[in-house]
Amino acid sequence: MSSPRGIRRAARALSLLAALACAASAGAHQSEPIAEPDFLPPAPGTYVLHRIMAAPEGRVLGIDGRSQPLSRYTRGQITLLGFIYTTCTDPQGCPLAYRVFDALKDAIAATPALHGKVQFVTLSFDPERDAPEVMRRYAGSRAVEKDGGLRWYFLTTRSARELMPLVEGFGQDIQITYDRSTGHPRRELSHVLKVFLIDDAGDIREIYSSMFLYPRLVLNDIDTLLMEKDLTQSRAPVQK
Amino acid sequence: MDHKSVFRATIGVLAVACMGFSAAVRGDETCNSPYIAKLIKGQEDYVYVWTLGVEGLGDGSDKLVTVDVNPKSKSYGKVVHSVSTGMRAEAHHMGFTDDRRQIWAGGLAESRIWVFDIATNPAKPKLVQTIDDLSDKSGYLGPHTYYALPGRMLVQALSNTKDKGGVTGMALYNNKGKYLDSYAMPTEGGGDGYGYDLAVNPKKNVLLTSSFTGYANYMRPLGELIQDGEAMKKFGNTMVLWDLKAIKPRKVLAVPGAPLEIRWSLNPKDNWAITATALTSKLWLVKQDGKGEWMAKEVGTIADPSKTPLPVDISITRDGKGLWVNTFMDGKTRYFDLSNPEAPKQTYEKSTGKQVNMISQSWDGKRVYITSSLLANWDKGGADNEQFLRGFAWNGKELAQKFEVDFTKEKLGRAHHMKLGSKALRYSASGG
Repeated sequence: MSSPRGIRRAARALSLLAALACAASAGAHQSEPIAEPDFLPPAPGTYVLHRIMAAPEGRVLGIDGRSQPLSRYTRGQITLLGFIYTTCTDPQGCPLAYRVFDALKDAIAATPALHGKVQFVTLSFDPERDAPEVMRRYAGSRAVEKDGGLRWYFLTTRSARELMPLVEGFGQDIQITYDRSTGHPRRELSHVLKVFLIDDAGDIREIYSSMFLYPRLVLNDIDTLLMEKDLTQSRAPVQK
Repeated sequence: MDHKSVFRATIGVLAVACMGFSAAVRGDETCNSPYIAKLIKGQEDYVYVWTLGVEGLGDGSDKLVTVDVNPKSKSYGKVVHSVSTGMRAEAHHMGFTDDRRQIWAGGLAESRIWVFDIATNPAKPKLVQTIDDLSDKSGYLGPHTYYALPGRMLVQALSNTKDKGGVTGMALYNNKGKYLDSYAMPTEGGGDGYGYDLAVNPKKNVLLTSSFTGYANYMRPLGELIQDGEAMKKFGNTMVLWDLKAIKPRKVLAVPGAPLEIRWSLNPKDNWAITATALTSKLWLVKQDGKGEWMAKEVGTIADPSKTPLPVDISITRDGKGLWVNTFMDGKTRYFDLSNPEAPKQTYEKSTGKQVNMISQSWDGKRVYITSSLLANWDKGGADNEQFLRGFAWNGKELAQKFEVDFTKEKLGRAHHMKLGSKALRYSASGG
């Protein structure tokens, strides 16, 4: 591996190994450590991440309350996007995604080769409760970009009318059920945890369920997309 | 009620709790993809039956039939809906998308896939899309297994358009029906290139496939086929272990005699799968050895293999402790105790029809459903050609028949694959 591209790959791979150690360390600060996969994932660049579909477009609100197209937050960099709602407490739902995002944030911050190439989006699907101010509190210090860190956008929508096309477009459905076990019917909002990896052109390239949401896998996929971009650029005709 | 009001009505009024269906879910009521998270853990309302059309019977076309199976319903045990494809294509299997809003179903005589919306009105599935590019994009023929991955569907075919033999592969689509990629079954390293079922274990990042035979064989009359020694050699004798993430073959396992349905144990602590071989009538276990190497081993016998009972479908219980096995030729349903998967032990058997094929069970295992048709040209003739859906209650000791739908009398066709449905899974894009 001696070409400039090869050297960049090697450097990035070494950085990621170090970053994973950071991710594990970050996980240790949480209430429950993030599990490592019970298998050796395929190496970055040895598999294909398909263009599953284009990320949908729609209007969203930032924590400053300004309305913007979602693409403002999902283009130009690799984006990791997850739906949440701030009242979610199921350990295998939103909190799991949050912990994984946290671990990845630290890992990416510790990897200079990834700086400026990855961003996160946390989008609420409870516009009734999760107003921009609520999302600001939910984000805490995470929404503030630190040196060498990444941008983490906490978004919501103005209404169900603005939200539902996004939910539908991502294939992130919501289910309403009734828990009658106590004798007092209680309506529950449930969802299948999905996290979306979006390339810089706005195409969804991977969809993680909780069964596959490991920082190591996500970092491998990010690296795979960056390697793909390196390859594309090296093949591009030289502009004269 | 406008969009906003609907949403408020559905999520804004009462205390909202969150249930992120997730790692605890390892399977569906009757052995679906673990990515299908909306399990029916109580009483199912419907059984959807993918039905082969029979010339001269009704409209003669393949159709998706909805049968009401809720004992509290006035139409219990009755057909409440059917939607026709308008053609006969050897309807065979079907599968849910990961959001369980759609059923993808196909025919072995074609490369076409029909997509039914089951969420808008679970009682009345609606044909919303046909996918016609499988053969053009992949060269594969006879889509068989439809296995949900997040946002995608992995389709295992049985044959190919070039020679209609058994060398085939898998095709990957997104949930909107857009073709993404295809994967040839391995023909090197011991691989025979044949395909049948597929099932995944995300915990171990493995995808397991099995093998059957091609169009040239499965479309021939069975009596003629078994007299053809050369044709009988053209059945799969392998299973393949793939890297699930990369969808690349890792290891070919020798499993002689056409291993068909694959069931991973639904017990979260387990990491083994079981299958039955159609031609040799054996149960095979796929597991890791002490060194972590994946291996396949024969662990049991189904009926008397010398009589070719033809085990055609299996259904594993949610705790991985029991396995139903249907054998087509003798029309029997058998139960195996899987407490020790290394040594399955038959504990029950019952004649459930003159010919039986698919078997599905409810999540709690208390209800068992059985259909009759294997393949149009392999089904028995005359009075033995019963075509039905039968519903049974299982109390752990005895299968008691509760209802029957006679698919010939109802002018429907040959009853094949089943999936369960529920009114509670109604979904509209407006929020619930």
